[in-house]
Amino acid sequence: MDVLLAVVALLIFPGGLFVIAASLAYEYVDRKLVARFQNRLGPRWFQPLADFIKLLVKEEIVPDGVNRGLFNGLPLAALAGALTAALYVPMAGLAPSWGFRGDLVAAVYLLMMMTLCIGLAGANTQDRFSLVGAVRALTQLFSYEAPFLLALLGPAIAAGSWRISEVNGYAREHLWMIVTQPLGFVVALIGLMGKLELPPFDAPEAETEIVSGALTEYSGRGLAFFRLGRDIELLIGLTLISAFYLGGLGNPLAFLAKTLALLAVTAALQSLFARLRIDQTVGLWWKAGAVLALVQLLVLIALKFAGVQL
Amino acid sequence: MSTTEFSRIQEAVGTLAACSTTSESRMDLRADADHLLQAVTSFRALNWGYLSAITGLDGGPAPTDGHIGILYHFCQGPAVVTFRVEVPRDHAVVPSISAVVPSAPLFERELSEMLGVEVQGLPAGKRQFLSDDWPPGVYPLRKDFSPESAVPVARSAPVIGSEEAPGTFIVPIGPQHPALKEPGHFEFAVDGEIITGASVRLGYVHRGIEKGAEDRSWVQALYLVERICGICSHIHATAYTLGVEALAGMTVPPRAQAIRTIICELERVHSHLLWLGVAAHEAGFDTLFMFSWRDRETVMDLLESVTGNRVNYSVNLLGGVKCDIDAAAADAIRRGVDYLQERTRHYLKIVTTDESFLRRTRGVGAISREMSERYGTVGPTARASGVTTDLRKAAPYAAYGQFPVEPVFSQACDQEARFVVRVKELFECYRVLREILDHLPGGDLAIPAPRKVPEGEAISRVEAPRGELFYYLRSTGGVKPDRVKVRTPSLCNWAAVVNVVVGQKLADIPVILAGIDPCFSCNDRSFTLRRRGRTGGSGHGSASAETWSWEELRAYGIRYYGGGR
Repeated sequence: MDVLLAVVALLIFPGGLFVIAASLAYEYVDRKLVARFQNRLGPRWFQPLADFIKLLVKEEIVPDGVNRGLFNGLPLAALAGALTAALYVPMAGLAPSWGFRGDLVAAVYLLMMMTLCIGLAGANTQDRFSLVGAVRALTQLFSYEAPFLLALLGPAIAAGSWRISEVNGYAREHLWMIVTQPLGFVVALIGLMGKLELPPFDAPEAETEIVSGALTEYSGRGLAFFRLGRDIELLIGLTLISAFYLGGLGNPLAFLAKTLALLAVTAALQSLFARLRIDQTVGLWWKAGAVLALVQLLVLIALKFAGVQL
Repeated sequence: MSTTEFSRIQEAVGTLAACSTTSESRMDLRADADHLLQAVTSFRALNWGYLSAITGLDGGPAPTDGHIGILYHFCQGPAVVTFRVEVPRDHAVVPSISAVVPSAPLFERELSEMLGVEVQGLPAGKRQFLSDDWPPGVYPLRKDFSPESAVPVARSAPVIGSEEAPGTFIVPIGPQHPALKEPGHFEFAVDGEIITGASVRLGYVHRGIEKGAEDRSWVQALYLVERICGICSHIHATAYTLGVEALAGMTVPPRAQAIRTIICELERVHSHLLWLGVAAHEAGFDTLFMFSWRDRETVMDLLESVTGNRVNYSVNLLGGVKCDIDAAAADAIRRGVDYLQERTRHYLKIVTTDESFLRRTRGVGAISREMSERYGTVGPTARASGVTTDLRKAAPYAAYGQFPVEPVFSQACDQEARFVVRVKELFECYRVLREILDHLPGGDLAIPAPRKVPEGEAISRVEAPRGELFYYLRSTGGVKPDRVKVRTPSLCNWAAVVNVVVGQKLADIPVILAGIDPCFSCNDRSFTLRRRGRTGGSGHGSASAETWSWEELRAYGIRYYGGGR
């Protein structure tokens, strides 16, 4: 019976199919909101699914001069990383399917696999746009990753546990941490946008400069998996931030309300700004993001030592 | 031009060239090829005007004429000084003037590719206008050119980076690239994100319009030149009609001139709003792109309601205009302009205060005034570098004499200045539009035009949305033009851009390119439509070059648009 439940959790709910369906739905909401903010009509509700199926059906062209194994394997690795990370977060407001001490760190690193795979995929081809895109993607990784991790550690320190389910439980019983740790919340949310290469942090795939960045040479299945992986990351990111900073996730309703509210904020931010150059992105993260996250963390640690109940 | 200026130039050139004045604003200086460079050098020492265009004129093969005339037009305000050189067709050699006129090389290259004039001292370089498989020794703008002689030569597909020196990394942009809405090819050598070298290749949308015009009547050529550009079609037609009317000595009714001017300004509004959106998109600011294009629909609807068309308005006739603007149309324009003015205020605020946008524009791609003058930039690009020339004021045409325009310029020189100048120009457009509508002269819309145009030549210069547009027209007294030379503003702006991007960041390239509002379609004009293999014939891809006859083209068009159903 346990095995059956585990398989269901892995493949159908809350992992696997459910995560895929939910992430496509969130992509739709994101695209629709950005479109409406930009005075456009936006896609129909099934557009992300239609795009996914279309890409699966299309011919995958493997360019000359690439390592075929890497070319085909990297999208799978990226998608697998994202799907695995989904098992450790309180998806749909339910308890995570799996968990262990320190699973927060594991989840963050699983999320990072996506960017690493994109960087490798770009470096694997000889296309100039891909190469420039790969360099930019990895450069960006080194700028947002540390502040993003620090911002997620804040609530963990407050809760005294590096286990996602325990931090979630702590968050539900205490004052929302967006109030007690506002700096961390801002860094985490913007960090998520950087991670997903959403505007204004879309320099690694700046269409008007380097076409499609590291993924320029991907045309079919590989592109579909990378895109799906990114959608899943969006979902996981929103779940993590809501669980940590917005008073925890205890039921599906709270999950929907909190993650969608966060999504609306990121959609608004996406349509507000012009694209940052890669040097500006790096500057912003190290000059502002990292400093803010560190200040937040030091204050937390100091308060903890002083014995203040957070 | 005052007589003192005239004598100053005569004095400077001395015995190197024979001077004559052909009208109050034009002066011809005849030089021979050996003394041309010397003459131009002493002329440039006066610091008078700028090189506006180089026109090549083929007189035809030997028994009739046997010479190629080369005309270097220097302009200042309404005055034009033309250096004229004649060289034999079978030994057409002139010295390059690029040493004293740094903006000349692109004009000279066009001359050498199109007319087969060897320009000595022109830096060696790849072709700019003709395709790579164009046969050497075949010159499309020569009078005895026949399309049958343009048999493509075999060539291998170019490999990007095959010519790059060790240690350099070239990022190619175009001919197909998301940043380019029209085809052009750029190669940027980069060191990380920093540009260390740049080159441009044009000519991908060369359609043979100058040559085509020689084969059409004066009236037909009007519709041809209107199709040079899809954004500023009216200004091309206006430049052409003004030139032909000057040649034929026609006095166009003032109401027609006023209506032409109204359409010119509406077109400028549409062009600048379109540019605002494209330029914002290049900087990754899609929200501004979507909003400015939404508002641009207002002016597109106005153009459609007045002229019946959204793109090629077809307003001009030789001798007047086709459509009238009645009180109802005038009110519609006023209402549209009121709305647009309010929106434009908002956009001005965005481009001057939005923090994230300013990070992409302020201090980026600065073209100093000195550089701008050296490389001969024109239009809003030049005005953003502190040049105050606007032909609507400097050499008023159509109804601009009666309804003066104040040039908008900025000393800031950077990308932000290019935004500010164009957006502020919109306010000037709105003001002039209201002014003309309030004082629209009465009278006829057109006078009849003669079928034949008297022998002679005319130069017509107008301020297109992108800058000075130059037309040279020559008639031999027949029903067809002998030569229609078009020099579009985009051609003048490349040299400065290719020089200014070095040292900038790769991410700023699309922004800087967009800054000059390049129009490739304008830029590329001359030549012939070929096809590779007939359908169902020798199979596609075979290089059997054939020229389409008019009947074939027509039949193809009918078939393509479903006429056969």
